[in-house]
Amino acid sequence: MQEDSRPDAALGLEGVPHTGEAITADGLLVEPQAEDFQHAKQAPKNPDWFKGAVFYEVLVRAFTDSNGDGTGDLRGLASRLDYLEWLGIDCLWLPPFYASPLRDGGYDISDFRAVLPEFGNIEDFVYLLDEAHRRGIRVITDLVLNHTSDAHPWFQQSRMDPDGPYGDYYVWSDDDSRYADARIIFVDTETSNWTYDPVRGQFYWHRFFSHQPDLNFENNDVQEAMLDTLRFWLDLGIDGFRLDAVPYLFEEEGTNCENLPRTHDFLKRCRKVVDDEYPGRILLAEANQWPSDVVEYFGDPEVGGDECHMAFHFPLMPRIFMAVRRESRFPISEILAQTPEIPTGTQWGIFLRNHDELTLEMVTDEERDYMYTEYAKDPRMKANIGIRRRLAPLLENDRNQQELFTAMLLSLPGSPVLYYGDEIGMGDNIWLGDRDAVRTPMQWTPDRNAGFSSCDPGRIYLPVIMDPIHGYQALNVEAQLNNASSLLNWTRRMIEVRKQHHALAEGTFIDLGGSNPSVLAYKRRWTRPDGHEDIVLCVNNLSRFPQPVELDLSEHRGTTPVELTGGVHFPQVGELPYLLTLPGHGFYWFQLATVGDDGESR
Amino acid sequence: MTEPQELVEKLLTELPGWLPAQRWFAGKDRPVGSVRPLRTTVLLEEPRLLHVVVEVEQADRVEAYQLLVTDRDESYEATGDGELTGHLLDLMAQGREIDGLSFEHEPDAELTDGLRGRPITSEQSNTSIIFGSQYILKLFRKLSYGPNPDLVLHRALRGVGCEHIAQPLGSITGELNGEQVTIGMLQQFLPDAVDGWAMATTSVRDLMADSEALHADQAGGDFAAEANRLGQAVATVHADLERALGQQDADDDDIAATVRAMGSRLDRVAEMVPALGPFVPALREAFDKALDGRSTIVVQNIHGDLHLGQVLRTVNGWLLIDFEGEPAAPAAERAALKSPLRDVAGMLRSFDYAAHQMLVGQDEDPLLTERALEWARRNRAAFCEGYADAAAEAVGDPRRHGELLRAFELDKAVYEVAYEYANRPEWLTVPLSSIARITGEGA
Repeated sequence: MQEDSRPDAALGLEGVPHTGEAITADGLLVEPQAEDFQHAKQAPKNPDWFKGAVFYEVLVRAFTDSNGDGTGDLRGLASRLDYLEWLGIDCLWLPPFYASPLRDGGYDISDFRAVLPEFGNIEDFVYLLDEAHRRGIRVITDLVLNHTSDAHPWFQQSRMDPDGPYGDYYVWSDDDSRYADARIIFVDTETSNWTYDPVRGQFYWHRFFSHQPDLNFENNDVQEAMLDTLRFWLDLGIDGFRLDAVPYLFEEEGTNCENLPRTHDFLKRCRKVVDDEYPGRILLAEANQWPSDVVEYFGDPEVGGDECHMAFHFPLMPRIFMAVRRESRFPISEILAQTPEIPTGTQWGIFLRNHDELTLEMVTDEERDYMYTEYAKDPRMKANIGIRRRLAPLLENDRNQQELFTAMLLSLPGSPVLYYGDEIGMGDNIWLGDRDAVRTPMQWTPDRNAGFSSCDPGRIYLPVIMDPIHGYQALNVEAQLNNASSLLNWTRRMIEVRKQHHALAEGTFIDLGGSNPSVLAYKRRWTRPDGHEDIVLCVNNLSRFPQPVELDLSEHRGTTPVELTGGVHFPQVGELPYLLTLPGHGFYWFQLATVGDDGESR
Repeated sequence: MTEPQELVEKLLTELPGWLPAQRWFAGKDRPVGSVRPLRTTVLLEEPRLLHVVVEVEQADRVEAYQLLVTDRDESYEATGDGELTGHLLDLMAQGREIDGLSFEHEPDAELTDGLRGRPITSEQSNTSIIFGSQYILKLFRKLSYGPNPDLVLHRALRGVGCEHIAQPLGSITGELNGEQVTIGMLQQFLPDAVDGWAMATTSVRDLMADSEALHADQAGGDFAAEANRLGQAVATVHADLERALGQQDADDDDIAATVRAMGSRLDRVAEMVPALGPFVPALREAFDKALDGRSTIVVQNIHGDLHLGQVLRTVNGWLLIDFEGEPAAPAAERAALKSPLRDVAGMLRSFDYAAHQMLVGQDEDPLLTERALEWARRNRAAFCEGYADAAAEAVGDPRRHGELLRAFELDKAVYEVAYEYANRPEWLTVPLSSIARITGEGA
């Protein structure tokens, strides 16, 4: 075999352990093993940690550059853990940092067992994990089960040797007519889910980009290989995975090839590995589907869930934006009313923004047009079926709205996922390609490169934001740390308050309705293990104008609402509806004082 | 503890002064002559709860009103006492009959009892009590003899599975002077509901406050999608009413009678309100055109007093409430079959009101006036489109019956002129400017 046709040739992983560095006599690729590395110490045991955790999505590339090459890395991220601990973050979610040709932000993985060299290596990752665990911070990462990069040695072997051990690792076909009912997801760039491979002389199936062939889960070897991939990282000490694009694992003629029963069967296998071998670690499903379909990914409610521990609630997010712009609670109330109960051992993940565009797949056509008109005034703000903007610019940098949105994120049902930089109100750069608009360097200081990197500014992976409103000179962590009333300090305080009230984490959600359509009021009710009730009342004014609201709190007659950020006692709840007035985009969190066994309120 | 008889007698001496102070009392326009007890039912001994029906004579008018009376409160009024009103729910749950008063639940409805009641404060002509967050009981204050259209239509709609109503769950009925009267109706309560007026005016407020020169279709608070769904809901209710209770083709005489009634209303109001004078010829012409250019129309049971305050937005869509018809109209007129276009006209007028309500009493502002008109045009059109999408074939797109719809709308506006003149003179400009606009636009 010629040197440059080796399956690992394109990966740039010379000198570090990687898949395909050798091939066994049976044609199997040699892969790195967890035993080859040190393992991180585990975080303190708590099987339910994810139900109340505050998550923080951070791109390794974008957070801090430790070696001055213009790209953030694992050691750089580790150096910022004190900041994240101070902010109150419980768990980091790292999008893929694996070896990759980077044609899809790292979601095109070319080796599941090696780190992208510019981010560091496996040892650096174990160091990050260890340092995080010492601070009580957990770490989960993306794992793409559905597909690999076409540069992955598995695919290279598969296309070159149809009869070899990898020949059946992908979905090959002599023509491009099968599974015609499956939609095309990346409508901006792809015209078919099949692409012809001249090397093998067949078409291969791909639900995303044509350079990301789908793995063939009908092949048990593929299932075993992916379970071993999970084990590799779990052995190193990772706390769980966000499973990317889970609805698409299997294909079946005559279906839309989404959410198929066999896909669920495989997820149950993954869950069993976690439960049996790594209890306390989690699986988080990325299934951009309607809530009634997504709940299937939690698994059997009879046993408290036996698939994923968590799943993202996708339709909620665009509706929060819609509700505030329409000054009507119905978009939020409706989607939560349509959200089924979830098994006892599971939790939603909710978010306002993330590294992808503001996804509009889970809204009606009419609602999508509406969102485009309201939140993507420039065509460049649109991407695929969504809007590529950060929270602050989406809200026209209005501090009151940023606070209202964050307050809802921290109090609606589910574990909140913050997106790096949104805690300081970072801006975006819509002139950057694809989804890079929201992936610019974290702004730490007013110094060169915003304190992100010591490199020559020309070498940085994406330019720092420099516009007059969101530019790093004025908008950065250092400046906000020193300002008691900054968005950063406010966000930290709200996270702290949230953690003091477990009702906000696991409490049942009760929409209070009310006659004012612009006010969204709800209760979160949690029965503590000692039998006492913790009830938090959240009242949000979705309108830019001041609003009165009369709430039916008759169930709590005689209790005294205590405002949670300042501890102020509000008037007692009486027989009549409870009257509150809110400033434009204002909100309140109250504890409805619990009545103890002795009948004492407060 | 007073004996029931004693309590009623004490009450009767105070009623002539007490009644006119009650919001629901319909006879505030003339002095109360005599008040006579018609029947008294002891609902509870301890604490005392009485159901009392009195006959109130005012000059040439005699009406029956119901009272819920206790001696626990100086005001005698028991509707505010959560424990006592809770007893009414319990009686319906048990299906009790007390001295000729029947407390019933609908045949397949199971009621939770033991809930406290609380009165809602915003009501005009009746008194409604909410139990927990599940039920609402409407007590009809002024009693009418014969079947109550609200209860009859709700039951009919429930029978055909209509989803756009608050389901009826129980009733209180009795007999008075040998005739049936409906005392109260229990319905499913929807705590998440917001009335259409609040929804619409939220949207208008958003448009009016926008600093950029936005049009109604560009404003973030645009209401057209809601108006469209509302139109569909109204059309669905009309189709369900037709399915449950049938329809008739109106003959020429019926239509002529309807147009004559419009004309005589116009005469009465024009005499009272001079400002209407200049529009009388154009109005009369519009009514006559409805007679000439008419296609066959169907008549059926309709809502009868439809406006944005009579519809509720819930998380499951729009509902219609209060099928009593126009409260001031006599029972026979209310029960008569009407064209569904009347309800459509009522909603169209209501959109006009919602659009202009912020401008009432303000200095003339051409920009805001233009925005109001634009909002009204956009949402009226969206409502009609939604209606057309879901309408029964016999009715179809309401705009197909342009002349008749216009006449109904103008007739409603004439009624509004009389109402505003008597009650809120500031608002008179709203119906008058609409009349000017509609008649000015020609056919």
